[in-house]
Amino acid sequence: MNQAKILNLVAKLKHTNNIKPRKLKNYRGPEGRIAMLQKSLTALLKYERIELNFNRADETRAYAEIFMSQIAKQGSQNQKSIDMANFWILENQIIYKLFNVLVPRFSNDVSYTNLYHHPNVYPGILRPKAILELKNNSFPKVSSSIKNQSSVENILLKESHKRHFIDVITQ
Amino acid sequence: MAMSVRVRLGSQFRNIMRVCFHENRHMSTAEIVVEKSENPKEPERISLEEQQRLNDIAKNERMEKLLNMRFAYQEFLPDPNPKNRNTLKERLERRDMLARRSNVEIPEFYVGSLVAVMHSDPHAPGKNNRFMGICIQKIGAGLRASFILRNFIDGEGVEINFDMYDPTIQRIDVIRLEKRLDEELFYLRDAPPEYSTFPVDMEPEYQPEGSAVPVNEIKVPLKPLPWLVKWERMGMKGIRDVTSMLTEKRLRMSKLKQFNKPWEKYDLLKMYSETIPIEDQVEIFSEIQEKLHELEQHRYKMKRSRNFVKPTKMG
Repeated sequence: MNQAKILNLVAKLKHTNNIKPRKLKNYRGPEGRIAMLQKSLTALLKYERIELNFNRADETRAYAEIFMSQIAKQGSQNQKSIDMANFWILENQIIYKLFNVLVPRFSNDVSYTNLYHHPNVYPGILRPKAILELKNNSFPKVSSSIKNQSSVENILLKESHKRHFIDVITQ
Repeated sequence: MAMSVRVRLGSQFRNIMRVCFHENRHMSTAEIVVEKSENPKEPERISLEEQQRLNDIAKNERMEKLLNMRFAYQEFLPDPNPKNRNTLKERLERRDMLARRSNVEIPEFYVGSLVAVMHSDPHAPGKNNRFMGICIQKIGAGLRASFILRNFIDGEGVEINFDMYDPTIQRIDVIRLEKRLDEELFYLRDAPPEYSTFPVDMEPEYQPEGSAVPVNEIKVPLKPLPWLVKWERMGMKGIRDVTSMLTEKRLRMSKLKQFNKPWEKYDLLKMYSETIPIEDQVEIFSEIQEKLHELEQHRYKMKRSRNFVKPTKMG
């Protein structure tokens, strides 16, 4: 029989309704799983855009969302959020960056991250890949909208279609 | 009838106001004095900000009040497992729970409180039975919520598991309202009997209204081995130090990482999947709050009002 625990209060996740914690198969077991997530969460806050296998990226995303929302709720001066940051972030500089740069940037009431599917390179290891990034970062956008005719991808695709038809007709 | 009105205007509203006043001037006899301030935008901005700040404070207070209901009315929160969630079922259950609460008063009590339950029992003389004991567990969501009472009666430990919304329950009385250090007190089974023995005819202890629930910080000693559970691995706060009773191997085993699980302390997704998020809790409690308040007030009135008996002729 299950009952909701009431000691900790958590804000609702904005990016998904259904969450299943993944095992993230690992020779160190559940301890190793948390270590993997610590690494990738630190990397996410450090580089603001990272490339991962899809499973690990999606799992990291959920942890990052809860992490940021808890700190936004409790405030950066709170002892609880400082302890949590010390556990999850492996480099001291990034903790400084989190409280002074990222937290003021993410005081909005929306999700904090974006996740994109990433194509595989053939031949290679054909696991689904993903790009995970913080919102409002300084990099150029990952995807441009399909309707935008002037984007580079759409122009190249149109030209390649033309070339293909011309080749077919001339043969 | 002459009235003088002082109006301070920002530049963006001045033209609009002028038109309005101009049109209405011949209708009323009001005398209008327009005073130009030096910094017209400043007073408006402050008032707006203040208003917003006050609104925010009021909103936060309301939210806190609703969220604090989670301690006393924990069973109104649904099962957090997403497989078992069903919003329609939860709403219907809440309606049934409130309907039951309008017939029987289910008071606020916690694990560690002393509670007496009067319930109908076809095999008991008088068809009623009263059991009084310490609450050692409160579990379950919705109509399946239940609690276990424990007491020593005639030299024998007795535990009864009551369903909170069982229709056979006639009355629930809280004899002593308090909390313990742990969420479950199953270690009382391995403790000496005096720690779970309470006289059945205890009188209820009343506390002043609005006072915080006291925490009983008693540490219970355990009987010598064997125990029902390996308590040294459970991290219970309400148990006295047991290292002198254990063998060397068992003591070494209890300090292993796999039993203490230090990595679970900050496992955020685990924490999330075990609770109901704030937004859902606020929705649930704002739905039931009015009805509960109504019931409480009704009960308060009934307590105060005297039962008048029709006077009868004497002699």
